[in-house]
Amino acid sequence: MAAADSSSAALRRRDLCSRGIRLAGKMRSDVIDLLDTYVERQGLDASASVAVVEGVPVAAVERWDEQTGTQRLLENLAAYRAFRALLAQMLEEQREQLGEADAALGRALAAVLLQVSAFAYHLEELLRLESRGPPSEEGAGPPPPSHLGLFERKLWGLGVLRELAQWAVRSARDLRQLTKPSPGSSLAPSPAESP
Amino acid sequence: DSHIQYERVGADVTMKCGSMDWDAAVTWTANGTDIDESHLNGSYLILKKVDLTQSGQYSCYEGSSWHLKYQTYLRVGTPPKEPVLMCRSNNYPKGFYCSWHLPTPTYIPNSFNISVIHGTREMVCEKDVFPKNRCHIRYLQLFSTVKYKVTLTVTNALGKNSTTVTFDEFAIVKPDPPESVVAKPVPNNPRRLEVSWQNPSSWPDPESFPLKFFLRYRPLILDQWQHVELSDGTSHTITDAYAGKEYIIQVAAKDNDIGTWSDWSVAVHATPWTEEPKHLTTEAQVTETTSASTSSFMPPPTTKICDKGAVVGSGAVAVCWTAGLVLAAYGVLFI
Repeated sequence: MAAADSSSAALRRRDLCSRGIRLAGKMRSDVIDLLDTYVERQGLDASASVAVVEGVPVAAVERWDEQTGTQRLLENLAAYRAFRALLAQMLEEQREQLGEADAALGRALAAVLLQVSAFAYHLEELLRLESRGPPSEEGAGPPPPSHLGLFERKLWGLGVLRELAQWAVRSARDLRQLTKPSPGSSLAPSPAESP
Repeated sequence: DSHIQYERVGADVTMKCGSMDWDAAVTWTANGTDIDESHLNGSYLILKKVDLTQSGQYSCYEGSSWHLKYQTYLRVGTPPKEPVLMCRSNNYPKGFYCSWHLPTPTYIPNSFNISVIHGTREMVCEKDVFPKNRCHIRYLQLFSTVKYKVTLTVTNALGKNSTTVTFDEFAIVKPDPPESVVAKPVPNNPRRLEVSWQNPSSWPDPESFPLKFFLRYRPLILDQWQHVELSDGTSHTITDAYAGKEYIIQVAAKDNDIGTWSDWSVAVHATPWTEEPKHLTTEAQVTETTSASTSSFMPPPTTKICDKGAVVGSGAVAVCWTAGLVLAAYGVLFI
């Protein structure tokens, strides 16, 4: 029974990983399109450099290849939960500022938000497959950077989308690592299960 | 007293004979050959608007004793122009390399210094033994949005120059071309060619960082390429080749998600399988093959095509199709 369970869990894991990889690819492609739309609609310079983006999970990571599977899942989940809140904020602000005048940008933001939510779900499912389970959400998410002026908020939004585009690439790589039979894909057993 | 002296092309050079007085009687030689007195001002050697051919060993001898009083090696050259610098990652995610060259030679020794900055962090670019003008860096971080800034400074005895390039991690990813490209005909399939290749050996982890591929092929006698993009796998069967025509085939690679396409691989040639006629008689029998989908092909007017495959055995008759005829996928049997 245990063997059948573990093999069906392995199949489910594999299935979630391959769907997740495809979703990450689509998400990245849509985020890049969204970036173009956002830059244009907000009147920004595409090459504008955005320094540190407050409250945004940074995709950059050291020793990426040494991470365990659990670390990968947890970091990804924390990131996408944060992006879910950040994009919801951006969507609300965009509606307030531009209203119906820019439905295209609103729709593009909403579509990406949906994919981010779906991806977060995938990650929660993957964590559930390990007896660990996903951590509970911390609440409403980071507060909006209310001290920023209008232009700074637009740049901030640019930073959010750019970082999300990086995450989408990283996530696909992370999920591929999970499907590999190597130390990088091993998920740390919970204390009750360790031999 | 011997040393090296560097001077710019076109400069006027004055050489003193060591500590000899201006009015001392001296003889100057260039690479062992006496220099005419017209180039002297007292004991000073004057070289006007020097050019590259004047590089060499200059020696000054005291008039009567022929004691060597001074020797210098003159190297005529130019200060460096702005160097050309490029950086690329063909082994992502391990690291990247930068390579450089000067657009025009300086004719004198140059030294290169490279600095790589990522955000606030200065990284060390380790110089390669070969090729010389190259260094490599290991990535400390992946998936960063912070750009890399690489500055190369070239210095020689006559001046210095520098250039800077800025890029982000994903933009410079460009694999090497696929390796071991092989194209083979498929038996009993006059319109197929089977192509296979391997990932470039420099790409460290194709499992986690899979490559996608672009195949291009055309018959030798046409200019237009056919293209196929393949998102996985390292083989492909071409199914629309013109029967009997020699093809040229190339493959390129790209990371699935980021960066740019590699250069094209080495080209391979292949011709689809053609049916060999059994033997020939005076009575010709023309039979359509089962793959009768007509590969209509109009050769250019001056082309004369001889179906070599039809020439077998004694009493052979070469079948030649002159220009203007449509070549269809016929098997020709002469019994």
